[in-house]
Amino acid sequence: MADHEATAHHHEHHHEDPQAHATRRAILQAAIGVSAGAAVLSTLWVGAGLVPREEKIPSKEPVAVGDVLVFATGPKAEQEITLDDLRAAQRERIPFIIAFPKSPENVVKKDLITNTIMVILADPAKMSPETRQHASPEGVLAYSAVCKHLGCTVSLWQNDTWLCPCHGGRYDIYNQAKVVGGPVPAPVPQLPVKVEGGKVVVAGEFLGKPGADV
Amino acid sequence: MYQWLDDRLSIGKLYAKAFRKAFPVHHSFFLGEITLFSFVTLVLTGIFLTLNYEPSIRPVSGSLSGGQEVPAAYYSILYIDSLPFGAVIRSLHHWAAHIMIAAAFLHMLRIHLTGAYKNPRELNWIVGVFLLVLAIITAFTGYALPFDNYALTATKIGYEIGAAAPWVGKLLSDILFAGELSPTNTQTIPRLFPIHVLWLPLALIALIGVHLTIMIKQKHTQPKYAEKVAPGKIVGVPLFPQQAAMMGILFLVYIAVTTFIAGAFLAHPVQAFGPPTANTPAVKPDWYFMWIYGILQIIPANWRFEFLGATFGPQFWGGILVPTIIILGALAIPFLDYSKEKQRYLELPSQHPFRTSFVVGMLMFYIMSTLAGYKVDLGLSNGLLWVLVFIVPIVTGVVCYIIMKAIYGKDWNREPEIKLIGKGSAADD
Repeated sequence: MADHEATAHHHEHHHEDPQAHATRRAILQAAIGVSAGAAVLSTLWVGAGLVPREEKIPSKEPVAVGDVLVFATGPKAEQEITLDDLRAAQRERIPFIIAFPKSPENVVKKDLITNTIMVILADPAKMSPETRQHASPEGVLAYSAVCKHLGCTVSLWQNDTWLCPCHGGRYDIYNQAKVVGGPVPAPVPQLPVKVEGGKVVVAGEFLGKPGADV
Repeated sequence: MYQWLDDRLSIGKLYAKAFRKAFPVHHSFFLGEITLFSFVTLVLTGIFLTLNYEPSIRPVSGSLSGGQEVPAAYYSILYIDSLPFGAVIRSLHHWAAHIMIAAAFLHMLRIHLTGAYKNPRELNWIVGVFLLVLAIITAFTGYALPFDNYALTATKIGYEIGAAAPWVGKLLSDILFAGELSPTNTQTIPRLFPIHVLWLPLALIALIGVHLTIMIKQKHTQPKYAEKVAPGKIVGVPLFPQQAAMMGILFLVYIAVTTFIAGAFLAHPVQAFGPPTANTPAVKPDWYFMWIYGILQIIPANWRFEFLGATFGPQFWGGILVPTIIILGALAIPFLDYSKEKQRYLELPSQHPFRTSFVVGMLMFYIMSTLAGYKVDLGLSNGLLWVLVFIVPIVTGVVCYIIMKAIYGKDWNREPEIKLIGKGSAADD
């Protein structure tokens, strides 16, 4: 047997210790394994840098009690929304206004998507009791405007329902934004508001989690 | 000069070996080439666009925006549109992307209908499916770059669909888009830009290389008639000069037609939607996403459960599961419909009624789910759309199968005989 092996490996050294051979192989294999593991780990470590870093800036703070609602878009962007603005909107094709909260320190918190808010002046008589409870006595009503389906701003109005332009989600604003059509998995949360000095002021936290439900 | 080059590069040998390689000819074989031409056009127009584009959303203002402050990316599109033929080149980029995806899809349909994916070409079918998916992803990553309100809305939906993948979706979406898409997220454009103009095109080039190498190595399939004309031999024209001349002419025709389309139908100017705002405009996706858009609209809202911390909701079923099933199904085709013998000749769709009916059914599924994309506009009910999207394609497939059996079922034993006799006597004359 030994004779046979010697013939087969005649180009190698004749008196190779098989034990040393096996040890060397094991050490090399372990070294390769450790290096590969270290390479994978360091790649993941470096790759983790691709995850965006959250920066804390005042304009990214979530909506808070005492914030004033301002226009999010249009020629009046960042101006405070008044009861008169809401009355004027009532006569438009889109009877509501898309708003951002403005902190008492005058920072418009527009850099957090979930701060996009829909505010409307609606008939309190049409509202369900729970809805009316968090609306102002005049009928000013606010919801998160970020669709629970895929995060579009719910921006259309059709047949007295609030309609998302992206995938046809429909909400009933008189009944805590109950979903009345489309693939939306949950209602958008209501935002308790009150009217102070003709301005719309946030009176409480969102009554649920705002933002797409994925 | 020729002698000098030949001594060093053996051009003569290369010519004899590679350039005289015979290529079968059939008009449907040019679909793959059109896909390739589109890619070349996209790279060329893309070079022009990258040289004039600023991948940033820092606010800038100038005469082009009428003094208004707009994101730099948006402004650079205004600038490109103001250059001589700038808008045409941008539109050419836009339309070439559409044509590339359409041609790739038709190319795949041709392969499917003629059974060209069978042994030994399973591997190239798989590469092809990945190429189509990659091309669509590449097109998608370009959506956001003009950074108008339309671009942001379309991309945002993609972000949320990605985030709907269980467990890792949110993380992957955040990595791809550098956080949540918003009009003020300054990192998104700098991240999507290199992905769109560098990494995905490099991946496409690599996969196209693999696709073509495998095709040349395995030899192109031949039309059915070649078996009768010269069995066991390749019936076609040499790569050089005949095939090259045809390709050259086709490329010039392609450029002429697409440039005309680009000039006549410009891609929408960014001013049409304006810079991104908190509001979402009513937008429709491109035709190759419309079917997913349609399915997303008809999945009932209450199909939702949580499992080990992951949410499986309508977004997951429509946006992730259905496309994944279709891609996996496409990948499985060469293994489900397998031939033991190596395939040299294409099969006639009429002789394979089941496969042809299946393809017709799938096309009907695509058409119907696209129709579902117009659910709100047409006021269609969910119940009706479920029947249209999931029942009608099956019925179409069955009807197609019955019709094909009735028409071709009888003829197909008789026809070749008659043909052979006709041919034989013609040759004798």
